[in-house]
Amino acid sequence: MRMNTASEAISFSKKLEDESAKFYQNLAQRYAEGKEIFLSFARENAKNEVQVERAYYGVITDAIEGCYSFAGIDTDNYSIEVELPEGKGYSDALSMAIAVEEKIVSYYLDAAKVSKALMADVPQAFERIAKKRNERILKLKSLLKGG
Amino acid sequence: MAVLEEPIKGVPVVKNFINGEWVESKGELKDIVNPAKYETIAKVPISTKEEVNTAVEAAQEAFPDWRRTTPLARVRCLFRLKELLEEHFEELSRIQTQEHGKTIDESRGETRRGIEQVEVATGIPSLMMGYNLEDIATGIDEYLIRQPVGVFGVIPAFNFPFMIPLWFAPYATATGNCVVIKPSSEDPLSQIRLTELADEAGFPPGVWNIVNGGRTVTNALLDHPDIKGIGFIGSTRVARDVIYKRCGETGKRVIAQASAKCYMVIMPDCVVGRTIPALMTSFFGNTGQRCLSGSVLCVVGDDAFYNRFMDDVADAASKIIIGYGLDEAVQMGPLRDKEKKERIMGDIESGLKEGTKARLDGRKNFKIRGDYPDTCFLGPSILENATADMRVAQEEIFGPVMTVVRAKNLDEAIEMANSTRYGNASAIFTSSGKNAREFQYRIESGNVGINIGIVAPMAFFPFSGMKDSFFGTLHSQGQECIRFFTESKVVIQRWL
Repeated sequence: MRMNTASEAISFSKKLEDESAKFYQNLAQRYAEGKEIFLSFARENAKNEVQVERAYYGVITDAIEGCYSFAGIDTDNYSIEVELPEGKGYSDALSMAIAVEEKIVSYYLDAAKVSKALMADVPQAFERIAKKRNERILKLKSLLKGG
Repeated sequence: MAVLEEPIKGVPVVKNFINGEWVESKGELKDIVNPAKYETIAKVPISTKEEVNTAVEAAQEAFPDWRRTTPLARVRCLFRLKELLEEHFEELSRIQTQEHGKTIDESRGETRRGIEQVEVATGIPSLMMGYNLEDIATGIDEYLIRQPVGVFGVIPAFNFPFMIPLWFAPYATATGNCVVIKPSSEDPLSQIRLTELADEAGFPPGVWNIVNGGRTVTNALLDHPDIKGIGFIGSTRVARDVIYKRCGETGKRVIAQASAKCYMVIMPDCVVGRTIPALMTSFFGNTGQRCLSGSVLCVVGDDAFYNRFMDDVADAASKIIIGYGLDEAVQMGPLRDKEKKERIMGDIESGLKEGTKARLDGRKNFKIRGDYPDTCFLGPSILENATADMRVAQEEIFGPVMTVVRAKNLDEAIEMANSTRYGNASAIFTSSGKNAREFQYRIESGNVGINIGIVAPMAFFPFSGMKDSFFGTLHSQGQECIRFFTESKVVIQRWL
């Protein structure tokens, strides 16, 4: 679905953070070897959500182009697969987590790019979160290699 | 994306808030209609003169104690109010969408702007300070102190139901005055919720009062000898012929902000990709019901630039998603009511009769997202081939209508913009600092934008309208507002 408004972008961010947090909680239950790191990701997701909301609610005014800031972003391109089939091993879970993170990073970076000149603090918050999630990808990849 | 939940349930009857109590009015009840669904969501009383008098008496009685309350203690009420407003941010925003029709992003923007006024007013212990000079003559010192004045009336417009009263009330109360607010009878619900929160924040009884209604309430406030000043937002006709005139006759101070006809000047060196969203927000945001809305698009440049630019503008405008503002995908809501829609349709028709051409005619061929009646909806209109002397380029429309004129150069564009009798806001879109400075220097407008579509000053700057857009001396917001709400007392002191 094509987005336009800031409200849509914030709701979609929240959806991605919520869904991926549940995904990590699920992984934490299933894979003891990655429990701590998965739970830390889930906790960080909650913080990301707060950061995004604070940026949006802090900066939104009638003087900026809130209803037009995210034109061109299609949410269908960023939907994430969070159902890990039964019987899959730890390395499958890590690969899936990497794919989830890459999708979410691409959403935050693309959304930041289109809104950069229009929404002030929101794209900055998106970029900060994308950076943190890129660090996650490196961690997940090193775990995958180590495993 | 989802349609967000509505906070107003059932059909509540709005009450007045006088002397710290919610009281039923004896006045007739009027329906408050959600314009997107065209259904009644509440009833508001048209209060009587006696009810206004009771509120003013309560405020007058509360004034001596409130002015003796220390500025620090007074602003603690505002700090608490700020916290409560943040806590109820989303609820307050959704109420505005429900009662007014604006999109949820616009409502949240309005809530934020309102809260910023409270934030600035919490600085009163510093902002209200006077000044002094030692030894104006040997052994003699002179100093100025600012003192509150008394009771003020606040008469806001319908288009920003939550924010506009906050242009006045926080500054008035922080400086030690009391207020009687008459919310717009079209959309008073966010004001009611705000007042509930102000009560919870701990303002003493009588300091913050609300009397709902229409002209009777306005007249009673204007006539009352204990009302020391009025803050008003509305049309030029009422601001000049009623509010400003009557305040002059009765010796009240006044801030009367009025109609507008804002020019958006496009230079050929503008950054087109960034300019288009700014123009969509400016002309069609809040469904054009904003005194800072772009109203006339003045394009400077040759035919090739004009045609390319207007193709982009028309394309963007035709794609605007119209519907109920609580649907997050919606970019433009309905007009506040069907009478406004009919009047704007008449303005479009008269513009066409004057010789403009409709590149987009918002009266037809627009699609509403979702299953809502079209009673209050209009699409965006673009009227090309206008000239600066036409009525559509001179008079306020207050709806989603872009009138397009062309200018040979910046000089001509400034001349056209200055030909309107209004002076609320104007903007230039350019990459040239020289053009921008020239525009800023010569434009007869209180608020000037450079690559900004909505030239809304922040709370710590005055909202500076001029010409027929403003009647008074000091403006709302910031330092000017603090001066408005205080009397300057000069003391010359010699100890013998």
